[in-house]
Amino acid sequence: MSECDSDEDNVIRYGTPLDPFEEDELPSKRKYQQPADQYAVDSHGRRRFHGAFTGGFSAGFGNTVGTPEGWTPASFKSSRSEKAQISSQKAEDFMDDEDRSEFGIAPRHMQTQHEFSGQKRKIQQRYHDGPIPGEPVLEQLVKAVHETAAVRMLRAMGWRPGQGAGDRVSRADKVRAKRQHKVYGCYMPQEMRPNQEPASDNDSSDSEFDYETLFAPDDYEPYVLSHKNDKFGLGYSGLSRHSVLGNLMGEYGSDASTSKSHLIMKEKGKKVSIRGQAFGVGAFEADDEDIYATEDMSHYDFTLGGATEDKQKKKVKEKGVNVLEGFVKASKPLPQVPFYPPPALPKDYKPAAAGARRSRFEPTDQPQRDQGLGRHELTADARGALLGETPVPKVTDTNTQTNIPSTEDPIAKLVGRNVNFTSNQEEKSELDFISIKDSEKEITKVFRPFMNNPKKQARYELYLKDRDSYMKEGDGEMDRLSEWERNREIVEFEQAAKLYKPLTGIMSDRFTHASEPDEALNPLCAVAKSSTNYGLATPEQIDAAKRGVYGVMTRRESPWRPESLVCKRFNIPEPGGVRPESKKEDKPKVSYSVFSYLESSVHDRDSFAKEQSKFSGSKSLINTPNTSKEQNKTLNDTENVKRDDNKLENNTTSQINTGFSKRLTVAELFLKESEKDMKNKEQGVEVTETIDKFDKMDLYKSIFLSDSEDEGLPKNEESNDDKDANEFVDVPKNIERNTSPPRGIFANIDFDELNSWKRNVDNKQTNNEKEATSSANVEKNDKEAGAEDKIEIIETYGPKIPDNLMKRLEGESKSSIGGSNLKPVFRSQSERDKEILEGDSSSSADSWVDVKEIKSKKEKKKKSKKHKSKHKKSKHKKKSR
Amino acid sequence: MAELITLATIKCKQQAVRAVRFNIDGTYCLTCGADKKIKLWNPHRQLLLKTYGGHANEVLDATGSCDSSHIISGSADKSVILWDVTTGQPVRRYRGQASSITCVKFNEESTMAISGSIDNTVAFWDVVSQRQEPVQVLKDAKDTITSIQVTDHEILTCSVDCHARLYDIRIGKMISDYIGEVITYGSMTHDGQCYVLSCSDGTIKLFDKDSGELLNTFKGHESKDYLLENAVNEKDSHIISGSATGEIFYWDLISSSCTQKLVHTKNKPMVSLSHHPTENCLLTACEDEIKLWGVQSVEN
Repeated sequence: MSECDSDEDNVIRYGTPLDPFEEDELPSKRKYQQPADQYAVDSHGRRRFHGAFTGGFSAGFGNTVGTPEGWTPASFKSSRSEKAQISSQKAEDFMDDEDRSEFGIAPRHMQTQHEFSGQKRKIQQRYHDGPIPGEPVLEQLVKAVHETAAVRMLRAMGWRPGQGAGDRVSRADKVRAKRQHKVYGCYMPQEMRPNQEPASDNDSSDSEFDYETLFAPDDYEPYVLSHKNDKFGLGYSGLSRHSVLGNLMGEYGSDASTSKSHLIMKEKGKKVSIRGQAFGVGAFEADDEDIYATEDMSHYDFTLGGATEDKQKKKVKEKGVNVLEGFVKASKPLPQVPFYPPPALPKDYKPAAAGARRSRFEPTDQPQRDQGLGRHELTADARGALLGETPVPKVTDTNTQTNIPSTEDPIAKLVGRNVNFTSNQEEKSELDFISIKDSEKEITKVFRPFMNNPKKQARYELYLKDRDSYMKEGDGEMDRLSEWERNREIVEFEQAAKLYKPLTGIMSDRFTHASEPDEALNPLCAVAKSSTNYGLATPEQIDAAKRGVYGVMTRRESPWRPESLVCKRFNIPEPGGVRPESKKEDKPKVSYSVFSYLESSVHDRDSFAKEQSKFSGSKSLINTPNTSKEQNKTLNDTENVKRDDNKLENNTTSQINTGFSKRLTVAELFLKESEKDMKNKEQGVEVTETIDKFDKMDLYKSIFLSDSEDEGLPKNEESNDDKDANEFVDVPKNIERNTSPPRGIFANIDFDELNSWKRNVDNKQTNNEKEATSSANVEKNDKEAGAEDKIEIIETYGPKIPDNLMKRLEGESKSSIGGSNLKPVFRSQSERDKEILEGDSSSSADSWVDVKEIKSKKEKKKKSKKHKSKHKKSKHKKKSR
Repeated sequence: MAELITLATIKCKQQAVRAVRFNIDGTYCLTCGADKKIKLWNPHRQLLLKTYGGHANEVLDATGSCDSSHIISGSADKSVILWDVTTGQPVRRYRGQASSITCVKFNEESTMAISGSIDNTVAFWDVVSQRQEPVQVLKDAKDTITSIQVTDHEILTCSVDCHARLYDIRIGKMISDYIGEVITYGSMTHDGQCYVLSCSDGTIKLFDKDSGELLNTFKGHESKDYLLENAVNEKDSHIISGSATGEIFYWDLISSSCTQKLVHTKNKPMVSLSHHPTENCLLTACEDEIKLWGVQSVEN
């Protein structure tokens, strides 16, 4: 340390030391600047640049045309007495002092005037390379009469045109001077320099002259620098772009004879210079006889000699052989190119343009691609089969009686039973359109949604065949799959089955049959024929109408709900409670998108079922066992009651159909399935299996039911609970219940308590129903109707209906409902047929539901809701207590 | 019954008059032409008052509102147009139906227009509000709606599907009667107790509204394949109908005997007619011509 100190003492320092930098610190490249240093200032020390936000470039006083007020626009004023001076405005008028300063945009500084500057720009300017480069031609033509002073002075100095002024110099000096020619930039290559070669030539020739002879110095040659206006390399001048005919101008004004080029060929004393004359003139070609060239005596020979003769001879010879200069004619001719004829076209060749597009309507030999669902590759027949249509019989001679039985056959065959038509004639007409029927088997033939996985496809088919058993047992294949996978697959199958099966139902609303063959020429004929063929009138009705017995037979009443706005406009109070659910509720919303339609049809179960039944009513041959079963109910009151009882005792699957929210999600479908299983359980199927299933259910729910659905789910459950209360008295436990704690608005509601309370009430009610002689349904309706009346009466307008009329109306509505229940709907004909056909098929749970049933169930649902509201009230009471 | 004579004959110059309609009080009438125009006339003085153009196809039916300030018309261009009578401009155009509009009516207060169409539907249009969609659509019919009658609380629709449907708003019911024949036109008696239905089998049937029973049948005219209209006179004593033969038949409502036969144009189908609401006065349309029938004393 001490040494160090002593060292430092001894060191003599110059300059200012650098800042000692810390070891941690990285040496920054930029020197630290004071903020003040970072401002540019003008000559006055004012800040020159301000931030963009404070006015940008030189804002403030600095740029205000020198005055604090800044630039003011000039005013123009002119009167008779005082004429306005025409003031020319200059750019400087709008400039600051700063702008005119050295670094401004228009710097001003002292300089000698142009004429006194002594620069020879003027002269140099005279040389320009316009169309005629060099000195201006006009100036050459028009000579001043008197020589300028400078010329006179030069003459006095001994200058002559063509020779310079000054002392006479020897030849060698002259050459030396030339060599020392001042060159700006880089020297040209030695051989490229002009006048160098001839000079030496001259030298050699001149050397013979007297050595002592002195010459006047060369005249000063202005070295004209022309602008470089091409894009060639430095010093390179391509083919002259000047005159094509004659007047050959090289660079620097040198003509062809003097220009030096690497491409100069000397041939027998005659210079063949390469210079561009025009396109098509080869470099090595002899000069054309320039027809435009001026005739000159130099073209003629004045001496007689052999050489010239030779030349002439040669020329003649050359011309005769037609060989270019410098070429020799080949001794033997070129070998002949053999000619091959084009190959003959094959017989079946069809000429087609190379780039021609192939029309997509052109028949192709290639087999159709097999990809995707195969929807787009289907033929019309396949599609028809898919839709469950019977193939259209050949209508070549339908009119002949002999053909009728044969056309009958396919339908009978397909359906397997007699199709009920009113008459033979009708049957015939029926065949003119495509009947639609629903058959799963045919569809499975065509639709293979799991084509890429044959095993899965096989399983799917198995599933389609017998869902229940499949769900229960599975097959060997299934055992290999994990539980979760299996569940997933079942859901998948269900979706697939739904998607592909009920096409007829989906499309029923979209398409309608051409009910009659199109007889455009005879419109009334078609009308007359169709008059009985709407499926609206039963044969009895038709018969009655024929006999003229109008009245009860031909009349049919059905509930109709006018829109509230219609009622309003008609000044009529809304008829409440006659038909509880309005049309709007029936149909969600008319959407014209095919996709939404498809989706809604598939998922919206009762709308779908409705369409089905509607369709089946008109013409189709749908005969699923379930619908007919459901229809029994609508037709028969007593049975209805019985059914109700059954429901109470047996937990039949009809429960599935009740109270479901309209839009059946997959989850709900699944629930339905599970309930079906529950039934099985009661019938003696192993309990453990179903429990397993419900464990799966929970798993499923946890996977597929997102939180967003939670709001809906408890509601659904609630309604289910209601149903439980209604219909199953002694269900041991509600297995389908979501065990997760209630969330959201249901968090604080004790469902169990609600349930227990409700059950009592409902039991009573159901007992009453049992006792009632009339249909339980009707009574329910009535109750409901009454209730709704009470509710809706508040919304009415117009004059109040007198009480007695009201009662009467209510009575009417009751009877109408009873009547409507009794009376078949307009499609009852076909429905009845089905009944007859089906008999007492007892399968119940399926997707086909009757409209009526849904309706009644909806009513029930509403009712249950009402109960719910009651309960809620009671709950509140409890709470308040 | 006093013999009716032709009081006026008007050449409408509308190619073919599809429908002729008295206004609410019978002073004016509307003719709907195949030339896509509606003309407003004073038939008693044979004056053309206004022409309403804007439809894109034949106008098949039109009705004036209860205050005669608006006209509603239905056309084969599938649209229903609400016209302002004085300006002659369309106020609203409804395009909700899928096919030609065959018949159109106002409700009693002219707050709602009801149109029937070849697309088998009956649509309710709210003419008071700006709403462009139908308020309600009745889809019960399975074939073309041929005519509509509107009372204060009922709507009677007749269809080619052989059904007459009565929609009762008060009790919220639809009563459909199967007639067994195509119904070309349906009207109601002034007391509102009976339907008068023209059928394509060449009969006019009188039905009791409440029971649906057939009360009477009127025959003698020829319907062929025309959508013949019928009318009930102002006293509910006679049923009037045109015929394919160009005649106008008057039947006694009770005895169903033909009491009078007027000839509009022989062998030219006389399809559309309209009876004066209060007087013994009839308007008939045949081809390009409308005729006003009445008793001379009425005119004076």
